[in-house]
Amino acid sequence: MTGMRVSTRGLVLIYRSEGHEVAALSGVDLDIEAGEMVGLLGPSGSGKSTLLSLLAGLFRPSAGKVFVGPHELSSATPRELDALRAREVSLMLQGAVRNLLPYFTPIENVRFAQGAARVVRGDVPSPEEVVAGVGLGDDAHRPLAELSPGHLQLAALAVSMATTPGLLLADEPTSQLDHEARDLVLERMALVNREFGTTIVLVTHDPDVAATLPRTITIRDGRVGGEGRSGEEYAVVTPDGFLPLPGHVRENLLPGTLVRFHLEDGNYLLLPESSEQPSEGRHRA
Amino acid sequence: MTRWRYRPGQALALVALAALVAACAVFAPLYDRAMQQALTRTTIDGAPVVASTVQLEASNSEDPTIPIPTPEQVADRLPADVRGDFLPPILGYGGDADVIPGQASDPIGSLLWRDGQCDHVTITDGRCPDAAGEVLVSAADAKNFDLEVGATTRVNGRLYQRGNSVLAKTVHLTVVGTYTQEPDDFWIGRLLTGASGTLSQGAGGPGHIQHDVWLTPRETFNSSGATAAVTSSWAGYRIDADQVGVDEVLDLGSVADELVSLPTPPGAAPVSVATGIGDLADNVSDQIDQSRVTVPLLMAQLGLLAVVVLWLVLLAVTEQRRPEVALAHLRGRGRRGARRLLLAELLPVTLAGLVPGLVLAVVAAWVARTVALPGDVPLELRLPVVLALVLAAGVLLGITVVASVRVAREPVSDLLRRVPPRQSTWALGAVDAVVVAGCGAVVVLFATGGLEGPVAMVAPALLAVVVGLLLAHLTTPTAGLLGRRQLRRGRLRLGVSILDAARSPATRRTVAIVTLASALAVFSADALLIGERNRADAAEQAAGAPLVADVQGNDLAAVRSALDEVDPDGTQVTPVVRVPQPDENAGETLGVLREGFTAVALFPGGAPDQDDWAQLAGPDVDPTVLTGRTFTAEATGATLTSVRVDGTPYPVTLGLDLATPSGEILHTSLGRFDGTSDRVDLSGTAPCADGCTITGLWVSSLPGATISGTVTIGALQVEPSGDAVPLGPAEGWTALNDPSSGSMKPSSTSEDQLTVKVDGQGASLLTMPNAWLPTEVPTLTTGSLPPGTSGTDYEITGLDGEKQLAVQVGTLDRVPASGRPTYVADLDTLQRGRVVASTDQIEVWFAADDDGLLDAVTSALHDRGVSIERTTTLADVRDGYDASAAAWSLQLAALVGALAILIALLVLVVSAASSWRLRARDLAALRMTGVPTRSIRAMAVAAQLPAVLLGIVAGTVCGLVGAHLVMPTVPLFAVDPEVSTLDLSTAWVAVVVAVAAALVVLGVGSVLIGRALAARSDVRRLREAGL
Repeated sequence: MTGMRVSTRGLVLIYRSEGHEVAALSGVDLDIEAGEMVGLLGPSGSGKSTLLSLLAGLFRPSAGKVFVGPHELSSATPRELDALRAREVSLMLQGAVRNLLPYFTPIENVRFAQGAARVVRGDVPSPEEVVAGVGLGDDAHRPLAELSPGHLQLAALAVSMATTPGLLLADEPTSQLDHEARDLVLERMALVNREFGTTIVLVTHDPDVAATLPRTITIRDGRVGGEGRSGEEYAVVTPDGFLPLPGHVRENLLPGTLVRFHLEDGNYLLLPESSEQPSEGRHRA
Repeated sequence: MTRWRYRPGQALALVALAALVAACAVFAPLYDRAMQQALTRTTIDGAPVVASTVQLEASNSEDPTIPIPTPEQVADRLPADVRGDFLPPILGYGGDADVIPGQASDPIGSLLWRDGQCDHVTITDGRCPDAAGEVLVSAADAKNFDLEVGATTRVNGRLYQRGNSVLAKTVHLTVVGTYTQEPDDFWIGRLLTGASGTLSQGAGGPGHIQHDVWLTPRETFNSSGATAAVTSSWAGYRIDADQVGVDEVLDLGSVADELVSLPTPPGAAPVSVATGIGDLADNVSDQIDQSRVTVPLLMAQLGLLAVVVLWLVLLAVTEQRRPEVALAHLRGRGRRGARRLLLAELLPVTLAGLVPGLVLAVVAAWVARTVALPGDVPLELRLPVVLALVLAAGVLLGITVVASVRVAREPVSDLLRRVPPRQSTWALGAVDAVVVAGCGAVVVLFATGGLEGPVAMVAPALLAVVVGLLLAHLTTPTAGLLGRRQLRRGRLRLGVSILDAARSPATRRTVAIVTLASALAVFSADALLIGERNRADAAEQAAGAPLVADVQGNDLAAVRSALDEVDPDGTQVTPVVRVPQPDENAGETLGVLREGFTAVALFPGGAPDQDDWAQLAGPDVDPTVLTGRTFTAEATGATLTSVRVDGTPYPVTLGLDLATPSGEILHTSLGRFDGTSDRVDLSGTAPCADGCTITGLWVSSLPGATISGTVTIGALQVEPSGDAVPLGPAEGWTALNDPSSGSMKPSSTSEDQLTVKVDGQGASLLTMPNAWLPTEVPTLTTGSLPPGTSGTDYEITGLDGEKQLAVQVGTLDRVPASGRPTYVADLDTLQRGRVVASTDQIEVWFAADDDGLLDAVTSALHDRGVSIERTTTLADVRDGYDASAAAWSLQLAALVGALAILIALLVLVVSAASSWRLRARDLAALRMTGVPTRSIRAMAVAAQLPAVLLGIVAGTVCGLVGAHLVMPTVPLFAVDPEVSTLDLSTAWVAVVVAVAAALVVLGVGSVLIGRALAARSDVRRLREAGL
């Protein structure tokens, strides 16, 4: 299966906690092209895992729409969502063992993960092929308890890729790994992305991981706070015209600061009201 | 299997619980069946042989012209398909052996043939008869009628017709041996001897002297020559106790009924059927019905406990698998796939419990059978056992599916949460609400009498479910409130412990299960001891004393003398005289010695007040005893005259009534008075060498003649000793004042003489009783007084069988070994002036079942020519009550109570095992903040212990209330005792023992579990990644 395009429009998720309504996402617009490998960054509680869950169809958004390939998830029936998860969308949970049935070997886990897809589609790769594809061929039949954390994560990756889905959503896939294992896992994910064209969206805290990704999206306060492409950090103008400031700029432009946008030579200058001349507080937009 | 190798402990716990559910279901029919078989054996063994036998007898007594069938033909009347349930039939003929020529000295009696008869008598002389005309006579007949071996005699034989006359052939019988009969089931209760030399009970006319039964071979009845007259042809089927079981006995009950009502074909001799098998079958059937109450009552509750525990464990197990269920959802398997994932893992395990459950039930039934049931009854795997197993499988399947569905249908987002959403509010969840409402409705229905049958039997458990669930539900928010309050007050240890308890789902489980288990334990123990107590009380009531000996004859004086010799204090043995009720409306009179009786007799429920017994005392007057054969007296100032109806005078006779030591009244004349005289010498004789008591002074004349006048009697003395006997003063006598017959009024202040004024209105005899004689006998009564009685004065049957005035001085709830109504009187009082009738039953009651004491009494009685007829012990009576389905069923309660507590302990262990990582990590976090080890340990214990204690308290209350509700419906006896001693009050000892057992097992268990958790709360736990 080839990668699937993912997009969201005005995505809002509000939940209740201890009698209060909390907006986990407050208007997220996102476009990820098929075959892209994108990282979702952001501080804890920013909403990136929530966004990932919405992309997997685990929650229904309070408002807005989620498009995965031709499917619009916010109005999909449970049966449609099951079918989607069976064939096209795979979610890799944070913590390798949460993706695996503890009493099965890696290959048995892969076979289990293929169960529904095999009924619906039939053309799933063999479990051996999948396990070998993530480089876990030698450990395919070993009990999980005997695997290293890195190999456990690879087993989780193999399970997530068991049906060669069009979209792989991975929540902190490298969070509990040492550098060597982390790099190995990232390498395999990149390989999957290249070989199968699978669209991969992964959540990470790790700047080293983010650095390896061709595109990153930073979620902040439930919104898209910025985007990084090939190491360059961008702010993203929202459909309603808001422009979130990058983190380091916010330290200089305190809340309440008045700014003007000044077009100069085709570039926007951001001029805080307090300064007459652009100086240290003068920013190029 | 791969899955369960990963969690072997859980698998074992589930298999164990499923096995317990299956075992509870299977055990009930298994044990019930074994109990029925034991019951059948006990009933057959305990019944007299005549009751467990079918006796068929063809007789032509109504029409001698009808031919009598052979014994084989008679035996064939029993349907062939049931003959296998009996031993081979005993065949026989019966006939008359009236010795001719029929003079007064020629005895009459029976001639009998029984197949194999000589093997069942003791031949004391000669040999077994084996040819026609030979007989074996009893040793008594040989002696009484000079029928020694070799003697011949003639009896009337078969009838034949000559012309218009019916004549009897003469049969010559030759005595070839003599026999004595020993008790033997072969004779099916028939007594062969005991009639020799006694008179027959002739209808109207004088009886005829009888001989015992003469035994003769079949040929005597069958030979071609002069044969004996056959009056009956007989076949006896004795039940084969080793072959028949409960089914056969119940079938035989209806066969026996059909046999009895079988019509006689025209022209055939009628065949009578005598059997008690129908009654035996009814008895067994009744007891089976009883066992169908108690066994399910106990096992269903234990099964319910096991089901609830299994349900809770399944909830815990499925909770633990939430991440796995979430994975099934994430891999597109949907709810159905998630359900399958759980069922594929859980169902084989729970269903696997059926096999060990069956084995466990068989083993438990075998043990219960060995311990509780008499004999060696078989364990039978019959259809009900299979059905029970299927039922258990259905229950296991049902709860496993429901538990799996419950988790599988949760949204995947909830399933992925590390801490599942918990109910922390006061509101009741839907499932809990349904269960509470359903169980509560059943309990309310039962309590208001609107429910009967099997469902009603689990009322105690259902009540405990309601209370347990409600308490469990309230525990979390209540503990949360309390915990937070304690923390705000700075009580860290207590606050954290309570909050820990509130947070843990195990707390709710613990409260619910411990409540249910404690209720079951308390109820079971209570029921067991209530049953024990009631059987003990009923046995005491029925037996009367630890040992009761029935004395032959009516020689009360000898009995009392013997008992005085053995036990001068009268506190170890005491005489009791039972005067049978003369008719259905009257009561039985029971003569007792007050102090001895209250010391020896058993009073279940407590002895009556001693003050009541003191009222039984007779008149406090010393008897006037006259010892000698001849006595003289002097009458002075006599004006006694008697005038006949025609006006002519007639002499007046004066005398004394004297009671011998045996109570016999001697009506003794002292002299006659014929008009006025200053002095008359009086004298009389009576057999009073052993002393006679003066009971009355009488005067007599002719019927219809009046008697009037006064006389003073004095100087009464016994000859030849010359001992003076005081007749006065007047207080020693009771004036006679009968309007219809006349009066006799004493007046005297001196001991030496007595003046009597007589005024007779025509009665031939006027007797002025001595004050020593009771005018009315004080009695304590139970039941109603005789019909027509007003107030407290009524009539009892005295020792002599005659009516005697009595007064009710108090009432008793029950009289030991007596039915209702019974009138208890002081034996000394009853004996005054009354002889003991031959129909009275003299008994000796013993304070202890002591063989030595019995031997001493037997010996002392023997010395006085009195023997003991039979003895009854309290233990025998108790055994009779214990050998019943009702008792055997209740014995299960001990097993159920113990298992309930052990199951609750299992729940504590499983709960701890399934949540120990979480709780150990919480404690580790506290340890990391510097809380000392000792406090950690105390908190770990305190988090569990209050829930256990709360459950035990609630369970105890539920058990007590449940027992109060259900015990009235639990059969405690096979047949209700004649006099009820029913006491369903709480057996507090049992309750205390059950609660103590629950406290020790569950309390200590929870402390140990808490300590084990504390020991595992190492700070390194905090680094663990939870699986």
